Amino acid sequence: MSSQPFAHFSKPRTGLKKGTIVGLLMLLPVILFSISVTLGRYEIGMLDVFKVLLSPLFPELDGDIPEVARQLILRVRLPRILGALLIGASLGGTGTSFQAIFKNPLVDSNILGVTSGAGFGAALALLLMRSGWQVQVFAFLFGLLAVFIAFFGSKLYRSSPLLVLTLMGILVGSLFSSLTSLLKYVADPLDTLPAITFWLLGSLTALTWDKLLILGGITLAGLLFLFAIRWRMNILSLGDAEAKSLGIDPARMKLLIILISTMMTAAAVSVSGVIGWVGLVIPHAGRILVGPDHKYLLPVSACLGASFLMLIDDIARTLLPGEIPLGVLTGLVGVPILILLLRRSQSEW
Amino acid sequence: MVTMLLEAQHLNFSYRPGHTVLHDVSLKLGKGEILYILGRNGGGKTTLLACLAGLLPPGQGKIFLESIPLEDYPPSIRSQKIGLIPQMHTPVFAYTVREMVMMGRAPHLHWLETPSSLDQDIVDESLEQAGLYELQGRAYTEISGGERQLVLIARGLAQKCQILLMDEPTAHLDLSNQQRVLEIVQQLSRQGLSFVISSHAPNDALTYADQVLLLSEGWVTDYGRPENMLTEPLLSSVYGIQTEVIYQQENGTRTPKAVVPRRPTEISPDSLNDSNSFLGEIFEKGKEAPQIVIVTGLSGVGKTSWCARLAQLAEENALQVKGILSPGVYEHGRKRAIQAKNLVNGETHVMATLRKEASTGLSTPRWQFIPETLDWANTILGDIDQADLLVIDELGPLELLRDQGLTAGAALVNKGGYRVACVVVRSSLVPKALQRWPGAIVVSGEARNAGPSCT
Repeated sequence: MSSQPFAHFSKPRTGLKKGTIVGLLMLLPVILFSISVTLGRYEIGMLDVFKVLLSPLFPELDGDIPEVARQLILRVRLPRILGALLIGASLGGTGTSFQAIFKNPLVDSNILGVTSGAGFGAALALLLMRSGWQVQVFAFLFGLLAVFIAFFGSKLYRSSPLLVLTLMGILVGSLFSSLTSLLKYVADPLDTLPAITFWLLGSLTALTWDKLLILGGITLAGLLFLFAIRWRMNILSLGDAEAKSLGIDPARMKLLIILISTMMTAAAVSVSGVIGWVGLVIPHAGRILVGPDHKYLLPVSACLGASFLMLIDDIARTLLPGEIPLGVLTGLVGVPILILLLRRSQSEW
Repeated sequence: MVTMLLEAQHLNFSYRPGHTVLHDVSLKLGKGEILYILGRNGGGKTTLLACLAGLLPPGQGKIFLESIPLEDYPPSIRSQKIGLIPQMHTPVFAYTVREMVMMGRAPHLHWLETPSSLDQDIVDESLEQAGLYELQGRAYTEISGGERQLVLIARGLAQKCQILLMDEPTAHLDLSNQQRVLEIVQQLSRQGLSFVISSHAPNDALTYADQVLLLSEGWVTDYGRPENMLTEPLLSSVYGIQTEVIYQQENGTRTPKAVVPRRPTEISPDSLNDSNSFLGEIFEKGKEAPQIVIVTGLSGVGKTSWCARLAQLAEENALQVKGILSPGVYEHGRKRAIQAKNLVNGETHVMATLRKEASTGLSTPRWQFIPETLDWANTILGDIDQADLLVIDELGPLELLRDQGLTAGAALVNKGGYRVACVVVRSSLVPKALQRWPGAIVVSGEARNAGPSCT
């Protein structure tokens, strides 16, 4: 040991370099957002986009923009891209939180069955009411119901709650998947069945400002909460005994995180349909870039998730004349990216 | 006079009704003291640490931290005073050393707060104190086991606690890392930090502990200064093995330096004829106080033959031999039955046969016992009140775990009235037998020591 324990304060702290990386990653969604608004079959330059966006503040900017372009940006592209941003951030953030509290890098916020429950709710609404606001509401409520069953079902067992909770989540997820299959089986094959199938594949086509408002409210409030407690996720990931010995009440903290994350995921899935994979893989990409400290990992995962889903949605709406379902693309694009990242970093989780 | 930091009074704890893990445990810990808890696996050490850390509420009894009941502390205040270092485990995520140490600041931060620059300074200081400053950027999962223990100690330092509870800190560490960790523990204790350490290393307790608590199946066997605790009979009763304490003579005082386990003595019964031999000495000592010899070995090594030969030689030396011998009955090389033979008159009965399915009455998984023979043998043993050599072959799971079978044999060993009692016990039950008779001498009953077979 050094005889002068305080002689080292001039040394740089490891956090600083990481801070720069985090700062750069924070800019990524802004860049992708700016590019995304210009993309589409109807060409609109970036300058025009900004003119439209700033026109409420400076009405004189609005003069030379065609009405079609204005409408396209404000009523179609903007809600859709903001939706991708919010949903991506939500899935990235909740996936990271779930991996921390489950001490398992192979889970995401769907581990307790929220997506399967939401899928069933949406399918039920499509079957009974064809379309409309009920789909979103049913998806949201059944998503919450699935997690509620899994969470309180696991309380029936006394031992090893984390393992039982995971198992219950998988069981409830399977149950709702089976029920969804049943609904598809009885659905009209010419009308309702395709609607259910496309909903389950995930899409942001139907996003409108009023849906976005609810999604935005829940997502931003949830992300704010997860951001506030992000550092404590490090401690929760060490296990209950250590968390308790460090003065944290792990049961209460986990319940809060599960509750908030489930609300966020249900809100996201209820507008976009099933978009798997983002919550599972984005945290891995984040860990490769900034390490496992949730102080940095949580905001980075949210930014990466937002950027990734905006990118995927850009591809979905521009690559082919028709739309490609998001759920298909997330896997097709994401898997090679992750394999590349893992290969380059040779990293642990 | 040291200030009492932590005091436990008559703690009882059970995970579920009827399975008590801690019985009436009391201890006191002063500022800067190191208390070692020694005991076998599953003896309740980890549970005791969890109770002291406030993670498990004791069923009965009280824990006081600075004279205030532990349960009266809010969790964050309690963890500002007591830190727990669990048994070595690898976290799922590869946090850096610095990030691990930083987690020690949690009790001092509001639940919505993240560490400030003051916390960064405290972590710097803690890393330096534990000699880890250069390692701070390394992944906790990639450093050595010894370094991981030091990281957790540094986390305790960052926690600014007064007491660190460490669960088997030196398990899995090589000698140099063991010493590195314990030397730092010692230095920190001189600076006023108190430690409670659960351990499987009695020698470390001799070197580093101020106090030792011996825990055996949840009961405190004894509690006090290490030199008074680490004695052969106490260690036998805690660990169920024979040990030898090695002393160092220095300036006229004799201090214990090391504890080593002692293997069963390998000796032939024939050496009884030599009065200076190990067996001869035991018979000499037996004139003053009854001596117990546990004859052990795996099944079929010749324990009965060993005792039979000893009994034969003892009789030739005009010693009075009494007791029961249990030779096997073999058929095509397989043991089919066990007999009971009265050593006084040679009368023999079948005591047990191979167990059939759906056995009733007294049985072990392999043998079905015949109650009449057991009654007969127990009557013979019950009538013995004096002998030079008492042979009891054998005390097995029935006698040592269930208080059934040759109950009069076990009672007779307790009662005395003999010079030497030779008790046959299979290897797996020697710890049980030694816990019952801590002063007993364990000898190997292998046939190669026994001379010609007598069964």
